[in-house]
Amino acid sequence: MSQILENPRGGCVLAGINSILGALHKVCPIYHAGPGCCMQTSAAEQGQSGHKNSCFVSSVSLPSSNMLEKEVVFGGTDKLRTTIQGALDIIDADAYFVLTGCTAGIIGDDIVSVTDEFQAKGYEVYPIETPGFAGDSNLGYEVVWNTMIDQVIEENVPKDEKLVNIFGVVPYHDPFWSGTLEEIDRILSELGLRVNTFFTKHQGIADVKKCSGAALNIIVNPWLFKGPAKKFEEKFGVPSVRIPGLFVGATDTTKFVRTVAEALHLDKAIVDKVIQAEEDYVYSYFAQAIGVVSWKRFAVVADASTAVGITRYLANDFSFTPVLVVIAEPIFRAEDKERIIAQINDLEYAVPPRVVFTADQYEINQALCNEPGEITLLIGSSNEREVALEKDMQFILASFPMSERLVFNRTYAGYRGCLTFTEDLYDNL
Amino acid sequence: MAKVQYSGVRESRPGRINDLGTTGKEAEENFRKGCLKKADRSFAQGLQCQQINSMAALMSLEDSVFISHSPQGCVGCSIMAVDMYRVGQAHRGIKNIKNPRIIVTNIDQKSVVFGGEQKLRDSVQKAVERYHPKLIFIYASCASGIIGDDIDAIASDLQKEYPDAVIVPIHCEGFKSKICASGFDAAFLSINKYILKQERIPKEKGLVNLFAPTTISFADQKEMERMLALIGVKVNYIPFYSSLEKIKRIPAAEASTSICKVFADEFMKTLWEDYEIPYSHTVMPIGIRNTDKWFRGIAKVLGKEQEVEEIIAREHQRIEPLVAKLRERLQGKRVFICGGTGRSFAAAALIDDFGMELVGLETPTYDEDAQVDIEYLNGIHKDYVVDIANMQPFEQVNLINKLKPDAFIGVPEWAAKLGIPTTHVLDGKRPTMGYDGLLFLGNKIADQLQNPGFNVKLSQHVKLPYKASWYEEDAFKYIIK
Repeated sequence: MSQILENPRGGCVLAGINSILGALHKVCPIYHAGPGCCMQTSAAEQGQSGHKNSCFVSSVSLPSSNMLEKEVVFGGTDKLRTTIQGALDIIDADAYFVLTGCTAGIIGDDIVSVTDEFQAKGYEVYPIETPGFAGDSNLGYEVVWNTMIDQVIEENVPKDEKLVNIFGVVPYHDPFWSGTLEEIDRILSELGLRVNTFFTKHQGIADVKKCSGAALNIIVNPWLFKGPAKKFEEKFGVPSVRIPGLFVGATDTTKFVRTVAEALHLDKAIVDKVIQAEEDYVYSYFAQAIGVVSWKRFAVVADASTAVGITRYLANDFSFTPVLVVIAEPIFRAEDKERIIAQINDLEYAVPPRVVFTADQYEINQALCNEPGEITLLIGSSNEREVALEKDMQFILASFPMSERLVFNRTYAGYRGCLTFTEDLYDNL
Repeated sequence: MAKVQYSGVRESRPGRINDLGTTGKEAEENFRKGCLKKADRSFAQGLQCQQINSMAALMSLEDSVFISHSPQGCVGCSIMAVDMYRVGQAHRGIKNIKNPRIIVTNIDQKSVVFGGEQKLRDSVQKAVERYHPKLIFIYASCASGIIGDDIDAIASDLQKEYPDAVIVPIHCEGFKSKICASGFDAAFLSINKYILKQERIPKEKGLVNLFAPTTISFADQKEMERMLALIGVKVNYIPFYSSLEKIKRIPAAEASTSICKVFADEFMKTLWEDYEIPYSHTVMPIGIRNTDKWFRGIAKVLGKEQEVEEIIAREHQRIEPLVAKLRERLQGKRVFICGGTGRSFAAAALIDDFGMELVGLETPTYDEDAQVDIEYLNGIHKDYVVDIANMQPFEQVNLINKLKPDAFIGVPEWAAKLGIPTTHVLDGKRPTMGYDGLLFLGNKIADQLQNPGFNVKLSQHVKLPYKASWYEEDAFKYIIK
């Protein structure tokens, strides 16, 4: 079930899978795919995510069977076998995952029997049988975690009451993922928790294997990870809380802290103290630049999680006027749409903005151009710069795809991230 | 006997191979003896597919919609062309920078079972309704090819329905070729078939087709146009930043030439066969020698040999003292070069201007054209390794680690982590071409060599993903005959 899309945001499911695995320390994807899939899928996600890419293997350094006409006609499992063997011989990875491109999927190559041969010899080579045409990169995030749950994560790991797993912040598909995970880690560590972000601190397959010992799964996303969360709880008994959108600024970040504290029955005195100190940090800075950032009527075009976070911060904490929010990723379940709309409608003082669901660039542009209310600030991706220039709106590049800025550890999330975001909003024109 | 139509698949040309580990001397001898055989790698890293090149080649055309009949991932690399298009507009002084209109049909499980025809039809309809384009390109993919969607028949049918747009299907299925430059040929074959259609138009005096891929910076375009204007040429710059009108002017030209060796080289042959347009196919104009050669090539076709010699002499007079200064800084430095077919050989010729020594060369294909370059290089450099590979960083780092060059020219990502000073020659945003480009590149290389701090410190902190044992192995161990 995929829609025709103009200027699509990100790649196929294979692109998503590759991106997520590439963010894990010392994990090596092996492609059983056509000759361009390594480059195409890396470019589709990592290549549009603030110019940061997986420095272990990505794009043309990914091992690949490069299936040509011969493999299309006669099958490519022999080629796959020598490709896996070569990868094991020369690449110093902790785990290897075999990914399937459209070609392998359509001709029906049996990759599992090949990975079985290597597993029998004691190698950590896992198959992921989801070909590119099966969906988009968001699905890739869930496919990776389903694979981990089915094949990698260990059972009967001793429980650690202070350990939590973070899900829902998607590496590369969210250009600020590193900084966001670091900010979440920082805040939760203040509460005395140990945090599996999985994708920072050089965490890797060893941390994934033991993550079933966590006390709680925290999903920071309004809709992703529904299936894997259920499966995770059934298999390992770890419950989940869903934070229905990225938290930007003091109000929502404090709400996030309270939700986690409640789920884990943390000591209220410690929690209050952390919140007090963090909020003080933010407001001590705000106090030093009042009235500096001029008032705006804004529109946001982003994935659901980012859109919720930015809209709520600007409306609730910064007293800007929300006009239009475009959720620019395909969302299929009605319940997910309702949850997203609820987050955007539930504002403290501001009148809720119009919400549009579309991932198609033409329709996004139409929504922005035909908006009856005046928009003076547009927060979006590189694809929205065109409309911003045409309509002469202030433009902040803050969502995927992101080509015109370099991002290392920048984030707009959490307590500290809202200060960075507000710095970027400053406009002297 | 009727002429056999070129398929667009580069490896169909006799004597062209992709997988080989050798030396300059050996390559020259074995090619001459006809001993170079097609091989393969039993282990390889990812390649670039031809669809990437077909899309990139045309992405900056005006009034066009680009439809990829594929799953969503196959437009991944178009972001590079999109970025070049946006930056190119900024360089050309355009204030309201536009996006190219790319539509992906998003072939999915249902299409794999039942075919993707309806999705393609709907996409074309959207393209027409939204933009009323003059051109609609339909790109095939591995998936559309294997499931057997007949994009030619669908396009021909849709052409009747939408007579105001020229609909151009392009057969760039990734699995058909290992050589990504085939994608350029696939695009030009379709341009000839669906746009030019063997129609004759009146000639325009002094008009020359200058074929440029998307990776040519605006600075380079201006330099090429300046040089050609010196011999009285009016340039039809295509297909980068051009339009249906400019493409239709192709047959009006007196001659053709290309900035890149593997871009439009096959098409220029076709233009000779179908429209009797003579052409010059030489080298990429990077460095003094190659710029001279490129310039003389097109001048000869136009009968301007004498004029061009005067200009070349004047340019040399201007450039050579400046190059001499660079030579003082670079003389005798050992270099490893990795690049596409055009840029790698151009860079190899360039380092001769600076008196540098070639120790290793990595280039995607070996064929008659490469032989000409290798013969020239063998006349200058005694001993260098040749790796016929499209990237394959695992072989590259193995070789670099053994050869320990003073400088690396090419994609910097891997050599940088070995602490080697790196310079990129594929810079589509800044000057690299012609006589002036040489100075920019030379200064870049010399400054990197003088101040390699970043790469040196990087190498002390970051490891490449390969096992220590790999560096002890034969770099070409996975190449199988």
